[in-house]
Amino acid sequence: MDKAIYLDIELCVGCGACAIACMDQNDIYPEKGQPAFRRIYRIEEGKFPDASIRYLSVACMHCEDSPCVVGCPTGAITKNDRTGAILVKKELCIGCHSCALACPFGVPRYDPDEKMEKCNLCTERVEAGLEPACVRVCPMGALKFESPNKIQGVKESKFVSNMVTAVHRAGSRQ
Amino acid sequence: MKDVDKLLRGKIPDSETGIEVRKSICTICDPSALCGLDLYVKDGKIIKVEGSKDHPYSMGTLCPKGAANRQYIYSEDRLKVPLKRTGPRGSGKFEPISWGDALDTIAAKFNEIKKQNGPESVAFFSGYTKYFRPYLKRLAHSFGSPNYLTESSTCHEATAMAQKLTFGQPGGPNLKNTQCLLVWSANPFHTNPGNARAILRGKERGMKLIVVDPRQTPTTARADIHLQVRPGTDGALALAMANGIIHEKLYDQDFVANYSYGFEDYREYVRQFTPEKGEELTGVPAEKILKAARMYASIKPAAIMPSASPVVHHTNGVQNYRAVFALVGLTGNYDITGGNFVIPPSFIHTPGLIPTREHEFVQCRPWSEMPPRVGADRFPVWVDVIDEEAQAMHLPSQIRSGEPYPIKALIGFGMNHRMWPDSNGLLKSVGELDFFTNVDIFMTDTCKNADIVLPACTSVERSELRCYPMGYIIFTQPAIKPLYESRSDVEIIYELAARLGLEDPLFKAGYEASVGWILEPSGISVAELNKHPGGMFVPNPMKLAEKKYLKQGFKTLSGKMEFKSKVLERYEGKSGFEALPVYTPPKYSRESAPELAQEYPFILNTGSRLPMYVHTRTFRLSWTNSLRPNHPAADINSADAVRLGIKQDDAIRICTPKDAIVVKANLTEMVQPGVVHMYHGHSEADVNLLFEGDYLDPLSGYPGFKSALCKVEKFEEGGCH
Repeated sequence: MDKAIYLDIELCVGCGACAIACMDQNDIYPEKGQPAFRRIYRIEEGKFPDASIRYLSVACMHCEDSPCVVGCPTGAITKNDRTGAILVKKELCIGCHSCALACPFGVPRYDPDEKMEKCNLCTERVEAGLEPACVRVCPMGALKFESPNKIQGVKESKFVSNMVTAVHRAGSRQ
Repeated sequence: MKDVDKLLRGKIPDSETGIEVRKSICTICDPSALCGLDLYVKDGKIIKVEGSKDHPYSMGTLCPKGAANRQYIYSEDRLKVPLKRTGPRGSGKFEPISWGDALDTIAAKFNEIKKQNGPESVAFFSGYTKYFRPYLKRLAHSFGSPNYLTESSTCHEATAMAQKLTFGQPGGPNLKNTQCLLVWSANPFHTNPGNARAILRGKERGMKLIVVDPRQTPTTARADIHLQVRPGTDGALALAMANGIIHEKLYDQDFVANYSYGFEDYREYVRQFTPEKGEELTGVPAEKILKAARMYASIKPAAIMPSASPVVHHTNGVQNYRAVFALVGLTGNYDITGGNFVIPPSFIHTPGLIPTREHEFVQCRPWSEMPPRVGADRFPVWVDVIDEEAQAMHLPSQIRSGEPYPIKALIGFGMNHRMWPDSNGLLKSVGELDFFTNVDIFMTDTCKNADIVLPACTSVERSELRCYPMGYIIFTQPAIKPLYESRSDVEIIYELAARLGLEDPLFKAGYEASVGWILEPSGISVAELNKHPGGMFVPNPMKLAEKKYLKQGFKTLSGKMEFKSKVLERYEGKSGFEALPVYTPPKYSRESAPELAQEYPFILNTGSRLPMYVHTRTFRLSWTNSLRPNHPAADINSADAVRLGIKQDDAIRICTPKDAIVVKANLTEMVQPGVVHMYHGHSEADVNLLFEGDYLDPLSGYPGFKSALCKVEKFEEGGCH
């Protein structure tokens, strides 16, 4: 896989700009019953005054080994060789919901014609050298479009730097 | 699929697709963000909206409101042509008229009233947006009326009043350099992403963060200390912090001794606000108050980030915020790098690091040559301190009383009556006018009461001048032609000036010439700005020194920072006008109205922000509404809900002695038990109906929207009253 969309949940504030940018990019109109590709969740934990809140912005994960691709009986779901995006050929979709059963994340949704709809990784934008619309808009920089190993590298160096700081602080206290 | 079809599907701009990127700015919220827009235009139509990467504030990003611009611009609800009312007020019955007839009718009516009653009987009001305000204020004064009013009668000006009473000039938080940021009731993570990003960068370099907020928010989640006050007790919290700072001698003794007035009386007054007393009054644990006081006073430099309205939307709001701003002086953090640094505004309340002639342009006739502004008698401190405008909260009273002179006609630009407490009372008063015109993008409930309604266009269809605190300036160019027959507000103002027959050289010279005149001292010409449709950095940004008061003194009556206000000393004995930042609980609170609180035990707090809405501006859009499917809903703590037998999304009734509304319940742990938070501006559940029209801060005239008493119950027909 080349690049993937990552969500840094430490940075996400659940504003929903990504969901709207996605609807703008993909001409999705909820009032027509068209399902959003990206959805926002708000999860509260604990009780006042010690409660905390987390936000998540969720869309198709474009899995490397996609259960939906395997599950689709008509071959409507395929993997794009260039971007790694999992794409739906709507003309082949028969609305059987096999993909819904297969997907561990609950991603597939169906339009009023019972055709499956989901995030297409902004394939045309990515092929033109642009970021996906949701990543571009994110005011907190919580959504990133990067190669998985590079993201992991950034995460790792942040962890290492925090650990060094903690060790240093502990040392200076003694 | 052919390549070009694929590119079109992805809305990729290039020569093959014919999609062109044009620049503009978003003014759905205004004026602290104004993010840069890249508009993808094909065949004269916007097909996609993106943030401009080269814009120094937004850097390619947008908030959910900005991302929804395309739906906002192409909303089916847009006003398309000028309309003349044919049915009763409020009926929504109109017939189209031509622009010429509409403007002639308005001008004739205004001139007739001017002749019969005087120019002061015509009032000019601005709601959102703000770009046209300088020209509207000039129109009012050029016509001869002192009655230029805006939504700033409930937003920002009272915060400025508290700062001006303390320092003469407000100082904003210098986010880039501060080591300790005290955010006093703001949630930039949902309202001002640029400030939120600055907080994140600050935390990365070790900045400490203290946040005062009655709710838990993404901002409080990132705080080292969250002081979760009961609404309306901010003053008591600030005084208790001051008590700790003075007691532990953490204050700036040099600043206090040499540059302040009234410290001894302040110190004496603050003595009673021990941290324990603070806990009793605010609900914040004493040790947290003390910890925050120590952190804010001992880390240098430290800055306070105020908010435009939350703290001043209380009947004791200005005094509360004075107590807060006194902390800036007490700790010597005024006008220093990393503290509350003074940058003079260049245009429309915003610094741009350039000198302009905005003030000369807007105040084309001095106040002294016009009759007193609306609200001048009732809110004298407003006149003492606020130079910009009249106090619109008094408008309904003056329309009803006709004292000290009658108001006969009103033109609103984006006027929304739901801004006023007792919003229907305001609408009723407006109904008594001889003539009411409203200019808007959409057919609002307020427009339905107007005699003439004029269609305005959105920011991407017009040209506007704006500046930014980093020394950036933009004079936008229309990315698309105004839709339907809509026009820019400024064009309407200049057309009206001509038809009113005003002998005003700048109105005669036109809009661009006026912009050029305003910018003249900056050395930036309109021609230069036109070469940079996405904006440009100002060529010679002003260099601003720290502690400008060393040379200039403070712009207060004493010439010093005032713990005790010399302006307010003039009102000795008048309740609410105390010269010290005295703490009085909100007028309708358990402390001030214990009997009322027996029947109405909840604190009603209104007007918090959700990230996808600013006031009512994106209420009509399916994109923003999809993020809040259960609105209008009130936030209520789940412990209260369980006690009252209320489940998520149940209909609940919120009642005050004045009125009641029915909304859905949103159960959350983010709000305190005993407090219900309701969002404002909903046609179907207008929370401002629950407030009396005179539930106002006597200093600023601001409504006490963020603390009153109410009861909450599960909605059943016949409940309450």
